[in-house]
Amino acid sequence: MIEIVNFLAQDFEKDAPKELMLLSFISQSFFQPFSLEENLLAILSALTSGSGVGFNRAMLFLAEGPKLRGRLWLGPRSAEEALYIWNTLSTPGIGYAEIIEYNRSLVSRPEDNLSRRIQSLSYDLKAGQELVPSLATTSRNIVLVRDARHEPRLADDFREIIGLDEFLCIPLLAQDEVMGEVILDNAINRAPIEARDIKLASLCGLVAGNAIALARMHRRVTDMERLAAMGEMAAFVTHELRNPLAAVGGFVEQMADPRATDRKKKRNLRIIRGEVKRLEDILFKIAHLWKVELKQSPPCDLGSVVRSILAGPEIRRKKRHRVIVPDIEDNLPPVLCDTTYAAEVVRNILDNAVDATPDRGLIRVRCFFQDSESRVVLSVEDSGAGIPPEIQDKIFTPFFSTKKNGMGLGLLFVKRVMDACGGRVEWESGESRGSVFRLYFPVDKRGSS
Amino acid sequence: MKKILVVEDEKALSLLYKEELTEEGYKVTAVLDAEAALEALAKERFDLIITDIRMPGKNGIDLVTRVLSRQPDIPIIINTAYQSYKNDFKTWAADAYIVKSSSLEELKAKIKELIEKPHVPTQKRPD
Repeated sequence: MIEIVNFLAQDFEKDAPKELMLLSFISQSFFQPFSLEENLLAILSALTSGSGVGFNRAMLFLAEGPKLRGRLWLGPRSAEEALYIWNTLSTPGIGYAEIIEYNRSLVSRPEDNLSRRIQSLSYDLKAGQELVPSLATTSRNIVLVRDARHEPRLADDFREIIGLDEFLCIPLLAQDEVMGEVILDNAINRAPIEARDIKLASLCGLVAGNAIALARMHRRVTDMERLAAMGEMAAFVTHELRNPLAAVGGFVEQMADPRATDRKKKRNLRIIRGEVKRLEDILFKIAHLWKVELKQSPPCDLGSVVRSILAGPEIRRKKRHRVIVPDIEDNLPPVLCDTTYAAEVVRNILDNAVDATPDRGLIRVRCFFQDSESRVVLSVEDSGAGIPPEIQDKIFTPFFSTKKNGMGLGLLFVKRVMDACGGRVEWESGESRGSVFRLYFPVDKRGSS
Repeated sequence: MKKILVVEDEKALSLLYKEELTEEGYKVTAVLDAEAALEALAKERFDLIITDIRMPGKNGIDLVTRVLSRQPDIPIIINTAYQSYKNDFKTWAADAYIVKSSSLEELKAKIKELIEKPHVPTQKRPD
């Protein structure tokens, strides 16, 4: 016999060891979709919640280059507010999620001037001249201030803002870096800071440090990916535009020659018009590739889209002696996709199938309703040579093409549209047995509910 | 009359090059891909080759390698829309690398320079 236990929301009993409660509290935040702000808020909540470490207030400073800057300050602004908050949060049935939710409302209200008060603070992180609060970050040590009023190594503006004698600075360590620090105090109940509080708080500090390091790394990677994509895009656009531009420039030059005959001028104009049209097409494709948005589109009848494309002149001209065998179910339910985009997707997939299939070869086009998944499936099977194994992982890569004059955007466009409408693309290909592409469109249920 | 082989898959550009270089006094043969270029080279001797890189079938870099293994001293100009192939050392075997632009002046000047320069016999490779 097996028993399946839910991972989330295991609120511990009140008498569980504090370390366990805290760990549980913080780990909840990492189940959220990846967001630094969420993780930090959860950690500050753990530090201030009664079921966590239980400090009255928690302040977050982040190290940004040579400066330590104030970011977030969580806690009540007055004794009355504290009483109200603590009462609210100790109501039976309040769990981690509710506490974090409540704290989010605290820090995001416009009149939350606690955070605003520290956001203008910034301190040098130069070794040798550090004052509290930057001392904890530069020394990588926990700093406990017992008598702020008489402590010379304390920044004056900070002394004024925190407004009490005893507080604790915990550096946020991550491997060989310090990401910043949290500053904790008991401004409301004036409880002394004890060894156990320090231990628990430093545990939070470690988790927070690593969360920040991870978030920064994540951001760096996405930035790099974006830059790489932009670089690729720029290189692609440059060369793609250069061919038609070279032709336009050259033929214009010829027309400027006084010896050019009228006939030649006319011909050149025709060529130039063609190249300009091509430039326009390139721009259109690029613009649309990055703009696939499918909101509020009316329901789309995929069967009709496929039928009309198969009957259209474009595909008939292109297929020549290849044989297309359609099998499109009647009365297909509408799908959730913009009709224009769906048509473009179908055209791209059919285009590829025709290109892949040898003359007189067979292409099977099926469109059917799949009850189990509630999808309308378009399956296009060609009888070509299959996609060579060495390029199989590149077929959705932008600007990768095996076709003459191919821009390498077709399948990427297909994938983007399918992703945007909540569908998916599946494909199989084997050497010398052709390829099959299956597009799973979600059924539009808006009209039926 | 000096003979030039133009290998260019863009039809409009191919026509433009043919007309412009004919105007300059060369005898121009234009083909659309590397295979056709190799066929033309097997039949006839050219004084200079201008080739694109990205073409259907064999690309221009492969063409340069193939041609130089048979005719090591024929001048070759690579003419492409891509700047980046310059980093590919195989393109260094060509005598010039010219990025396509809306003016043919650079290309024409380079052709003149290469075609009219006194023939320097390269070392014969051991067969």
